[in-house]
Amino acid sequence: MVKKRRLTLKIFLFLVFIDFLETFAQFCFKKTALSERGLEIKAFADAAHFIGTIIPSPFLWLGLISVMMIFVIWSTILSKIDLSVAVPVCSFSYITIPLVSVFYFHEKISALRWFGIFFIIFGIIFVSLSSKHKEEPE
Amino acid sequence: MKQSLIFIILLIFLTDLCDTISQLSLKSSINTIDLHVNTVKKIIKLLLKLAKIPRIWIGFLFSTLSLAIWLFVLSKAELSFAYSLDSMRYILIALASMLILKEKVGLIRWLGIASVVLGILLVATG
Repeated sequence: MVKKRRLTLKIFLFLVFIDFLETFAQFCFKKTALSERGLEIKAFADAAHFIGTIIPSPFLWLGLISVMMIFVIWSTILSKIDLSVAVPVCSFSYITIPLVSVFYFHEKISALRWFGIFFIIFGIIFVSLSSKHKEEPE
Repeated sequence: MKQSLIFIILLIFLTDLCDTISQLSLKSSINTIDLHVNTVKKIIKLLLKLAKIPRIWIGFLFSTLSLAIWLFVLSKAELSFAYSLDSMRYILIALASMLILKEKVGLIRWLGIASVVLGILLVATG
């Protein structure tokens, strides 16, 4: 049996959606952690106390739900395309996470970073193309 | 100073290696399931079938280990440094996909992966 391993637009959009979920999850986890800023974790008891205090946080649960959704979508995608395609195409989060911190923390993006973002997009296009060309005839 | 730097680099390599192992176990498990997933029902079926494969749980273990090492690294190293080195996971995963999963990684795909890695290096350090 020849498996279809072509990257379709639909799968590509789901991969981008994963990146947004991942960004959202990281944002939620950061918000959760920031709410307990004063705490210093030195011993196991401190860590246990920290976990105890963050459990009621709605951001923690939003983040965890996102992570679970990511796993479900990711598994579905992997049943359709190569791992060596899915992983690089999923690197949009390296662009979205800095962008979110820019809007949230009002940072500035340096010229070098813009170059980096350009290279990531360029790379994603190349990896996507490599999957389109490789369609094997049945 | 120099010794602790090598230690951190080694730890980042280890966290990426654990991540690669967990991705490999997930993908190789999915490869054994012959299912054309196009409905929600089939997604649930896929997940239930996956849960019965022991390799998946080993993958989860490595995933947890990877996160634990990563959090330790972040407590020791600067974020930009850790993040830029973390991009080696793209190369590790591509190599593993090629050698273990027998995926065909051609020149264009390698070029794309190299460009993504370069981009991450610039974003992380810029």
